[in-house]
Amino acid sequence: MAVFDTPQQAFGILRPICVQLTKVQTTENVEHLQAQLQMVSDSALQELQEYVLFPLRFSLKIPGPKRESLVQSVVQCITSILSTTCVRKQDLFHELFSELCTCLSSPSNLPQPAPLSEELKLTVIQALHVLMHSAYEDIILTLYQPSTLPHLGFAVSLLLGLAEHEKAKQIKLAALKCLRVLILQCDCQEHHRLLDADETKQCGDLFASFLPGISIALSRVITGDVKQGHMVTVSAIRLFYLTLSLVMADEQLIRITKDKEKPSADQSRLFELVVHRGAEWVKSTADKLSLLIHKIAEFACVHPHWKVRVALVELVHHLLLRCSQSLVDSVGHLLKALVGLVNDESEEVQSKCHEVLRNAAELRTIAENRALADVLSENLHSLATALPRLMNSQDDQGKFSTLSFLLGSLKLLGPKVNIVLNSAAHLHRLSKALMQVLELDVADVKIVEERCWGPEGSLGQPTASLQPCVQKGKGQKKYFRFFMDERIFLLIQQVCRVLGYYGNLYLLVDHFLGLYGESVVYRKQAAIVLNELITGAAGQGVDVFHERETAASTEDLKGTIVSILEEYTAQANWYLITSIDTEQSSEELLVKQSRAHALPGGANSSSLISSFFPSSDPSPAIRSMNSNIWQICIQLEGVGCFAYALGKEFRLLLASALYPVLEKAGDSTLLISQTAIGTMVDICHACGYDSVRCLINANSDYLVDGISLNLRQAAHQPHASQVFEAMLRHSDATLLPLVEDVIQDVLSTLDQFYDDRVSTFLGVLSTLVAALVQWFVVVKGNKHPQEQNAEQPTSTSPHAPQRQGEGSVTTPMEQDLQQFLLDYSKEKQIAEGNLPALEEEEEVHPSPPEPELNSTGAAGETPLPAHAQIAKEVLERCIHLLSDKSLRVRLKVLDVLELCVTVLRVHENHLLPMAHRAWPALVTRLINDDPLAVLRAFKVLRTLAETCGDFLRRRFSSDVLPKLTSSLVTQAPVSARAGPVYSHTLAFKLQLAVLQGLGSLCEKLDMGENDLNKVADACLIYLSAKQPMKLQEAARSVFLHLMRVDPDATWLFLNEVCCLLPSEPPHTSLHPLKLSGMGRQRTEFTDNVLCLLSELQQRETAAFQARPQEAPEP
Amino acid sequence: MALPPPDPQFVLRGTSAEIHTLHFSCGSQEPDYPLLFSGSSNGLIHIWNLKTRRVDTVLDGHGGKSVYWVEAIYDRDRLLSQGRDQKICLWDLAEGRNTVTDSVFTENVGFCKCSLLRVAQGHWLMAMPGKDLDEIQVLELPSKTSVCTLKPEADAKPGMPMCLKLWQPDFGSCPFLLAGYEDGSVILWNLSEAKILSRLTCHLEPVMSLDFDSEKTKGVSGSSEKVLSVWSLDEQQNLKVQKTQELINAGIADVTIRQDKKILATAGWDHRIRIFGWKKLKPLAVLSYHTATVHCVSFSDHRRPNERLLAAGSTDHRISVWSVYNEI
Repeated sequence: MAVFDTPQQAFGILRPICVQLTKVQTTENVEHLQAQLQMVSDSALQELQEYVLFPLRFSLKIPGPKRESLVQSVVQCITSILSTTCVRKQDLFHELFSELCTCLSSPSNLPQPAPLSEELKLTVIQALHVLMHSAYEDIILTLYQPSTLPHLGFAVSLLLGLAEHEKAKQIKLAALKCLRVLILQCDCQEHHRLLDADETKQCGDLFASFLPGISIALSRVITGDVKQGHMVTVSAIRLFYLTLSLVMADEQLIRITKDKEKPSADQSRLFELVVHRGAEWVKSTADKLSLLIHKIAEFACVHPHWKVRVALVELVHHLLLRCSQSLVDSVGHLLKALVGLVNDESEEVQSKCHEVLRNAAELRTIAENRALADVLSENLHSLATALPRLMNSQDDQGKFSTLSFLLGSLKLLGPKVNIVLNSAAHLHRLSKALMQVLELDVADVKIVEERCWGPEGSLGQPTASLQPCVQKGKGQKKYFRFFMDERIFLLIQQVCRVLGYYGNLYLLVDHFLGLYGESVVYRKQAAIVLNELITGAAGQGVDVFHERETAASTEDLKGTIVSILEEYTAQANWYLITSIDTEQSSEELLVKQSRAHALPGGANSSSLISSFFPSSDPSPAIRSMNSNIWQICIQLEGVGCFAYALGKEFRLLLASALYPVLEKAGDSTLLISQTAIGTMVDICHACGYDSVRCLINANSDYLVDGISLNLRQAAHQPHASQVFEAMLRHSDATLLPLVEDVIQDVLSTLDQFYDDRVSTFLGVLSTLVAALVQWFVVVKGNKHPQEQNAEQPTSTSPHAPQRQGEGSVTTPMEQDLQQFLLDYSKEKQIAEGNLPALEEEEEVHPSPPEPELNSTGAAGETPLPAHAQIAKEVLERCIHLLSDKSLRVRLKVLDVLELCVTVLRVHENHLLPMAHRAWPALVTRLINDDPLAVLRAFKVLRTLAETCGDFLRRRFSSDVLPKLTSSLVTQAPVSARAGPVYSHTLAFKLQLAVLQGLGSLCEKLDMGENDLNKVADACLIYLSAKQPMKLQEAARSVFLHLMRVDPDATWLFLNEVCCLLPSEPPHTSLHPLKLSGMGRQRTEFTDNVLCLLSELQQRETAAFQARPQEAPEP
Repeated sequence: MALPPPDPQFVLRGTSAEIHTLHFSCGSQEPDYPLLFSGSSNGLIHIWNLKTRRVDTVLDGHGGKSVYWVEAIYDRDRLLSQGRDQKICLWDLAEGRNTVTDSVFTENVGFCKCSLLRVAQGHWLMAMPGKDLDEIQVLELPSKTSVCTLKPEADAKPGMPMCLKLWQPDFGSCPFLLAGYEDGSVILWNLSEAKILSRLTCHLEPVMSLDFDSEKTKGVSGSSEKVLSVWSLDEQQNLKVQKTQELINAGIADVTIRQDKKILATAGWDHRIRIFGWKKLKPLAVLSYHTATVHCVSFSDHRRPNERLLAAGSTDHRISVWSVYNEI
């Protein structure tokens, strides 16, 4: 397309169309003109600007109704001209401005926007926008004179009306954008000259007149329907704060003279419209604005779209920066909004907020500004007062924002927070609020119920699975009465830490320790607060805007921590009732009653006693126990916090702090012991120990000291034993030399208190010996028991040749038969005392235990290793306790006894005398005692048999076996008749245990033929198909063991019961066999017997096939 | 009703040998932490840090022979130790050193502990058993020059000295020596004239230990009998028995009066530590913890009276540390 560069050429083209348009105003003509304009260069058009604009303006000015389409195309055309040209003349600018405004207004009601089509409105607004941009700066400024105030006001009100009442988003946006241009705060790319101070003040003066209108309209837009879209709200907020910061800027207001300028005579009427921004005006305006700001902030704070919230942050920033003095009353609202958004869920809002807060803090506008500090502390006070109520009434979201505000205020106050804290009333309010908010929910019965039983599992477990308590998260999950949301707790945590960070530590700790001691109701909360205060004071895990000037010195911190620790571990706060334990002896109860004041007021000792009877709903006593458990947990967590706060310095406090923690690690309440273990891990991390084991080993002297001292006092003995158990559980063999000393103490204390303390100490002994087994037997000698069993068949291999000679179905070779006879005669010779092959025999079948026996035999005089010595001493005590009158004790003793035997297994010289001494008591347990005890005693017997077979053989067969077999025989008919429920009875378990153990016992003890027969007779009944399956299986196992001891006799015995297949004689020279079981009908025993026989046969075959390898004898 | 006797505040273990002597040194400045020196039967001297309750240093300088007297001087930069190897060693402990810088050979085979008295800044007198069995030598430290040798007249025959106590009525005045002998007598020696001022036979058995209160000019001694004897020194420099306190079990290994002269502690062969009021010798407490003979008791010299501790060392290898009667 040709471009006409020179004005002459352009004029040539445009003239006819302009003339045409002046004559006939039609849309076509306008469009024609617009098309032609495309061909004119910008510079040419600039020359012809007024000429071209004339017909267009003319067509707008023609009185009478106009078609909208025409107006629209005319305005569009004007827009396109203006966008490429500049307006250089003031008159033209003013005229165009008012003409465009008129387009929007309805002719009848001037300030109201006309009911025009949306397109037209949009076009006109855009035209205005373009006009403002195409005008020269100085020309634009002429618009901001008192004389043009009506024009401007007209435009402003029109645009506001559009922004407020239009439905279309685009129009709203365009109107707001245009308004923004009007207040000379355009954000477009084009260069705008910055106004100097005077000009700004002039504009400010002018816009002050519009401020009420603008602000009210905008606040309506902002707080309007959320459906209008966030863009509108955002730009409205921007416009709002831009306007405010133009009119209410502090720097302008300072320069306002007291008296209104005298208007010159001719302009007096107009001048009256101009507002004088004197102090009074500022005050009243600020009051009104404060309402609006409050409304806007409240609305935008919770606006679902994050951009709106960002815009709000910007608003706060702007106003704080520019108008903090003029709008001082609103600062509260602004800050509230700001700090409320600090913990917003959107990253952008958060970071923006932080930036602004940091900015504000850096500028020291807040900390230095006394007025603001006052406002903040006043806010804090009112918030603290309202907090309990709010916590009751608000939902979690509401609580979250309330607390965010609290936290933000504290952070903003920074070091100034001490002003607030020094006021007793403020501190009181604040602490009471925290106490109430942090109230724990202690109705959960499960916490009281959950306990960890016995040493199983936890002994010697690697500590890798243990979680530190404090650092990773927040330790045990707590349940609060007033909120569920975890974030709220984190906020409160931050509040406390910030307090600790800035606040006067002594003052705070003193105050909260006071609350801690004041009432049980506050105790847990105060402990939480104290823990966090210390963490904060150590500068850990706090997020603050400005560094404190002086950090708390390590010495101060240590002193404070020591005093808190003393309070925590004081008798009344550390030894609380956490369980209804019937095992606990009377002394314990006495101690408890003296501690009854630790319970909440309602639960006095009488209700405590009533709580010993189970009740359906969580009674106050259970509640108080739950509360006690939590208190201990919180205090334990506190110890972890303190350790982190002090780092390696905490090592010095371990002398007093570690013992109580271990005490709780041995607690039977699961939650407490877990927390305590977590605390130990915390201490490890904080003090630079590699593991809990290292921690315990390195500080075993402190612990041993504590244990030995506490053992001296009856009331503390259970705790001391708990500590000792915990030590053993979390350490390893290297600990043993360190605690030998205290083991002696424990044993001698036990000797003094056989009667009433037995159960406590048995726990310790059991843990101790279990630890010994773990450290010395399982680790070093783990090949011992299993392999012995595995080697048993080979050691009995002399029988192997015999076996295959008799019952095997495979056709025996003649040489096998021959071999058998040869072996037989050889053995017979040996039996007769002819021993040529003895050495050979030994070489071929070296029995593995023998060398060990020899070595221990030789070392009989050498002192026992420490662990075995300990086991021996424990064993000695067990012998005395075996006949205790309490079944529970007897059972426990039997367990310990078994463990002792396991430890002493390799020291036969020491074990046998002890076994000898223990035997009479053990037999009594086996023969006349509660079935439970019999069960355990039988287990001990089996363990004992593994080691001292020879020693036990005769005793067993004379003292125990008759009783066992007879009881088996008498019980058999009962179990045969019994229904399925029988398998849950104790009698059944006893039968089962005896049957399961008898076989291996016979094998271990290498019983004689008579006894084996007795056993076989007694067990045969249990091979009956009428017996319960389990008993049948167990009985089969007895026979399987018997087969190992004497396969031939067993074979014969079984065949006498039942023999379906008549056996072929292995060789023609032998007579066919006649067995009593032959040809019998199927009986109840048939299935099991056949099963056993086939098993026997398989073994024979296996042995037969294995034989050729061992056959080549030297 | 009287309160039950307290438990030890803590117990120090780990010497794996009998404890024969204890000596506190609490330091004079604030950052200093209190130390406890212990000498044991295996010839080792342990330096315990009472803040951490752990051994800081172990000194080995008596060839495995038991150490039965230690005392720190020069604000615990130096340490004197006496052992059964017949040597008295001077240790340099300053700035973490631990070397023997000097030693004196006593040529005495007895059990008598030395006694040290500061006579001037940087000057001490040390009484120690001499070469002959009944002889006592007094040296001036640090020069090691012999001040005098105290030997009873031939006909006195008090036997070996068992325990010594150097004292002076006022700082700077002429020092005296009290010595307990094998025959149960206590002798007051005048050092400048090297002659016996007074002799008091207050026990039938050898005097195991004695202590003297120079303010009240009153002393106490214990022997292997069942009595504790309190005697006083009158203006004429005569010793005379003031009171004897009967005990239940025989044998006092050590007796010490606390610095404030309010109480006194005894170490008993019956495994117990007994506390008496010094004024009237009123029995105050029986502290039982040890499971074997208690060899020594010592009071701490802490600046703050309420942190003054009592330590006792025993054959059972443990040192018990007690906090008794120090709330003022």
